[in-house]
Amino acid sequence: MRWILRINFAALWLLTIAVASNGAELPSADLPIEQVIDQFVQQRLDAEKVAAAPQADDANLLRRLMLDVAGRIPTSEEAKGFVANGSAAKRVELVDRLLASPDFVWHQRNEFDRMLLPNKPNDGDFRKYLLWAVKENRSWEAMFRDMLVGDEADENRKHALTFIKSRARDLDDMLNDTAIVFFGVNVTCAKCHDHPLTPDWKQHHYFGMASFFSRTYVTKKNLLAERPFGEVKFKSKRKDDTKGEQTAKFEFLTGSIIDEPVVERSADDLKKIEETIKAAMQKDDAPPPEKPAFSPREKLVEVALRSEDNRFFARNFVNRVWDRFFGRGIVHPVDQLHASNAPSHPELLDWLTRDTVAHGYDLKRLIRGIVLSQAYSRSSEWTAGALPPESGLFAVAKVKPLTPRQYALSLLIATHNPTQWPLLDQAEQWATRREQLENASNGWSGQFEMPGENFQVAVDEALLFNNNKRVEDEFLRDSSDRLVGHLKTLSDNQAVIETAIQSICSRPPRDDERTTLDEFLKSRSDRVTAIQQLVWVLLTGPEMRFSF
Amino acid sequence: MTLSRRGFLNAAAVGATGTFAADMTRLDTLRHSAWADEVKTQGKRVILLWLAGGASQLETFDPKPGRPTGGPYRAIPTSATGVHISELLPKMAARIQQTTAIVRSLNTKNADHGGGAVIMETGRIKDPGIEYPDLGAVCAKELGRLDSAVPDYVSMYTSTEGRRKGGSGFLGSRYAPMFLSESMQPENIRRLESISDLDHQDRLALRDLLAKKFTQNRHSDSLGSHTQAYQRVRGLMASEKLFDIEQEPAEMRAKYGPTQFGQQCLIARRLVEAGVPFVKVARAWWDSHGENFETHRELCADLDHSMSVLLDDLKDRGLLEHTLVLTFGEFGRTPGINSSLGRDHFAAAWSATLSGCGVRGGACYGKTDEDGHKVADGEVGAGDLFATILTALGIDPNKEYHVGARPVPLSDFGSKPIKDVLV
Repeated sequence: MRWILRINFAALWLLTIAVASNGAELPSADLPIEQVIDQFVQQRLDAEKVAAAPQADDANLLRRLMLDVAGRIPTSEEAKGFVANGSAAKRVELVDRLLASPDFVWHQRNEFDRMLLPNKPNDGDFRKYLLWAVKENRSWEAMFRDMLVGDEADENRKHALTFIKSRARDLDDMLNDTAIVFFGVNVTCAKCHDHPLTPDWKQHHYFGMASFFSRTYVTKKNLLAERPFGEVKFKSKRKDDTKGEQTAKFEFLTGSIIDEPVVERSADDLKKIEETIKAAMQKDDAPPPEKPAFSPREKLVEVALRSEDNRFFARNFVNRVWDRFFGRGIVHPVDQLHASNAPSHPELLDWLTRDTVAHGYDLKRLIRGIVLSQAYSRSSEWTAGALPPESGLFAVAKVKPLTPRQYALSLLIATHNPTQWPLLDQAEQWATRREQLENASNGWSGQFEMPGENFQVAVDEALLFNNNKRVEDEFLRDSSDRLVGHLKTLSDNQAVIETAIQSICSRPPRDDERTTLDEFLKSRSDRVTAIQQLVWVLLTGPEMRFSF
Repeated sequence: MTLSRRGFLNAAAVGATGTFAADMTRLDTLRHSAWADEVKTQGKRVILLWLAGGASQLETFDPKPGRPTGGPYRAIPTSATGVHISELLPKMAARIQQTTAIVRSLNTKNADHGGGAVIMETGRIKDPGIEYPDLGAVCAKELGRLDSAVPDYVSMYTSTEGRRKGGSGFLGSRYAPMFLSESMQPENIRRLESISDLDHQDRLALRDLLAKKFTQNRHSDSLGSHTQAYQRVRGLMASEKLFDIEQEPAEMRAKYGPTQFGQQCLIARRLVEAGVPFVKVARAWWDSHGENFETHRELCADLDHSMSVLLDDLKDRGLLEHTLVLTFGEFGRTPGINSSLGRDHFAAAWSATLSGCGVRGGACYGKTDEDGHKVADGEVGAGDLFATILTALGIDPNKEYHVGARPVPLSDFGSKPIKDVLV
C-alpha cells in the first residue's frame, strides 16, 4: 500500500535532520526511498507547471519491471497472473519476489558485465566473479575493493582483478575507465590541458589520478602487481605554459593528496628491485613480486571511500542505478559528475546518496526504492502535447532499447510454447530454466548491438530478421515446443491472436489488432505459414525491441 | 484470393508510407537546418582504396631513384610537368595531370599496424574516453540520406591479414559499414526461398501497420531508427544486384580484369553510381618486411591497372567530378632497406593520393628529403588530410558533433585542409 500513499509534505519538513549540498534541509532519513523520490520529482514538476503522464497500466508495468529487474519479458502466465491479481500489495510483492529470484542474479550480473568490461562480453572468469558477488548481495563498496585491490589468493574474488588486468597495458585505460565507471567523471580532456568546459578538472587532476595507476603491471603469470616506486611527470601542451615539467602527486578528484612515506633505497637495492620486476614480467617461473609497503591503488580505494572524499563514488553509484531504470541520470550524461553539469534534482541526489552510504551501498535497497516510485511507473506515451517535456523532469517514462541479452532472452521466451513453462511456484525448476535460457541466448545476443547513448538500430538487424535462416528455424519453427507449434493447434483465429499477442507483447490484443490480424489470417490459404508470418510481425515490432 | 491479399498489402502500405513521410520531414528539418550546406554535398561520393599493411611511398608516388634508399626501380615522368612517380605505376602516370593530386609529406607518427590504422581511419589518435567514427561513417552521415534505399557505407576486406571492419564510433550503428569479408554478397540481403516475394512484402507492411500504433505517442530517436531500419529493408534487398558484376557487359568486366581487387573496384563503381556515398575497398597485404620489391611489383601492377580503369570509367560516366577516389593505408615504409630486402613500418614521411571530386589534378604537395627519411617541406598530419578530404566533398571540417557536452570537430582540433591540392 505504501507506494500509493500521498506524501504529507508538512510532516516531511518537520522530520528533516540533514542539509543538502545547496544548504537546504533534507527530508528524514527514515522515509521510504520511493516516497522521497516522488516528493522531489513532483516538486519540480509543480514548479515547471508540468502535469506528468498517467501511471502505466498493470500489463505495461509488469513488462517494464520484468525487463528492468529480471532482464527478460514475463511468460504469458506471469503476465496474466499479475493483471488478474486484485491485491493492493501486488506490486511490492512482485518487486520483492523478483529481487530475490535467480532472474535478478543473472540480469544484474549481465548489467555489471556490460558496465565494467564493455568490450569483452565473454570473459568467463570475470563473469563468474560477478555472478558470485550478486548472489552474495555483495555491496558496491566491497566490489570496488575486489576489483581495484583484490586478492589473488581468494578463489571467489581473484577474478575481479580482471577489471584492472584487462586494462593494465595502458595507463590511460586504467585511469579513465576507473574514473568513468566508479566516480562518474571523464577526465580525458584534462590530459593535455585544463578541461575547457569545467573549472573542476585541471591537468593535475588527470595526472594525480594517473599516479595511482602508474606503478601497476601484470606479471608473466598474469598476476597483478605494483612497483614500489615511480613517478608521473607531465607538462602542459598549452603554448603559454610557464610551469614546465611537473611531478604528479597522488591526488584524488576531490583535491585530497596522499603523501607517500619517504623510503631511502641504495642504488644496489633499486637495481635488485628492478631485476625482480623484470623477471616477473618475463619469466613464468619467477617468484611473485612482493607487495610494496605503499600501494597506490589501495590508497585510491581508501581515499575514495572515506567519508570526506566519498561524494564521487557514492553519487556515481546512485546516479548510474537511476540512469539504468529511468534511461537518464539525475546527472546526465552519467560521466559528467561535476559542478558545471547540475543535477536535475540536487536534493534528491543528496538524499539518495546519504541513504546509500548509510546502508552500505546496498544495490537491492536502492533498486527497490526506485522501482516502487510513481516516477518510475509512468506511462511512456505522451499525449498532452506535440513533444514531451525535457527528460530531466521524469514526466513520462522513457523508451529504452533492450540490451542484446534482454532482447535475445525475450525472443526465446516469446517464441517458446506458452503452455510449457514450469509453474511459478516451482522456484527450483525455474532457476534451472533460467540458466538454460541464459546459455541459449549467447548466440543471439552476439547478433545485436549494445545500446549506448543516442542508440540507433542498424539496418543489418532488420535484414537479419527479414532474411536470415536461423530466425526462421528457431523463432518460427512449428515444432510442438515452439509458439508457432502451439498456435497451429488452435482452430479459432481469435484464440491464435490472443495467445500470440499475450506471449509476445505480454498483454491482450486491442480491438484493431483483432480485426486486422483476423483479416490477415483469413486471407491466407496455408495456415501454418500465416501463423508464422503473424508471429514474425509481432516479434519484429518495436514493442518487442524496446522497454517502454 | 490474390486480389484480396494485394488489397490488404496496399492498404497497409498507404498507412505506413503516410507516417514515414511525416517522420522524415521532421528528422530532415532537425538535422539539415542549413540547406545551402546540403546542396554543396549533393551527390558527392567517396571510394577509398585502402592499401592495407602499408604501401611503400618509394615504389609508388615518391620515388628516390639513384639514392641508397631508392631501390631498383626507376622514376618515370607523369602527365603533370615535373612530377615523377615509380615506373611500377605507368598507367597512373599518364593520368596524374587529369585526375590526381599527390600528398608526399604525411607524418602520422604511429608506425604500428593497429595504432596507425586507427589514425588513418579516423584522422586522429585513439582517445580512451571516446570512440571516434571512421571516415566512412562520417561521410555516410554527411553525404547519405536517412531514408536511403542503398547502403551508405560499404566496406570490402577479403584478405584475412590486417582485416579491420572500421566503425561508426559515437555516431552509432546506423552508420556502421555493410561489411563484406567472406563473400561479395552482403549478408541477409537475399530473400529466403521459403517465403514468396509477395508474402515478404506483405508481412513487412503488416508489421509497419501494427507498429504505427505503438510509435504514435512515443518520442525517441532510437525508436525512429528502428522504424527506419525496417523501412530500408526492401530498398537494400533491391540493391543486391549492385554487388553482382555479372550485370555488367563482358567488355566492361574485361576492362577491370580478373583480379579480385579489380572486380571489387567495379562493384565500388556500381555502388557509387547507384548513390552509395562511401565505399572502401581494401587491397592487402603490402606489409613487405621481406622482398619489398617483388611484393610491390605484383601489388602495384594491380593497383595501377584497377585504379586507372576505375578513374576512366567514373570519368566516362560523368561521375568523377562528384566522386573522390583516395589511396592510403595505415602508413608507408622505411626508406632504409633491411637485410631481407624489405622495408619496415614508417609513418614519418609518406604519401597519399586524392583523385576526382574537388581535387586539383597534377598537384603535388610537400616534399621529403633527398633519401626520404624526413618531411622537408609542407608537413601534414592525418587530421590535415582528413580536413582536405572533407573540404573536397563540400563538408565543413570544422563542423562539430557533440558527444555529451563535448564538442568534436569532424577533422581533428587544429587541422587544416591542404588548399594546394583543392580546386
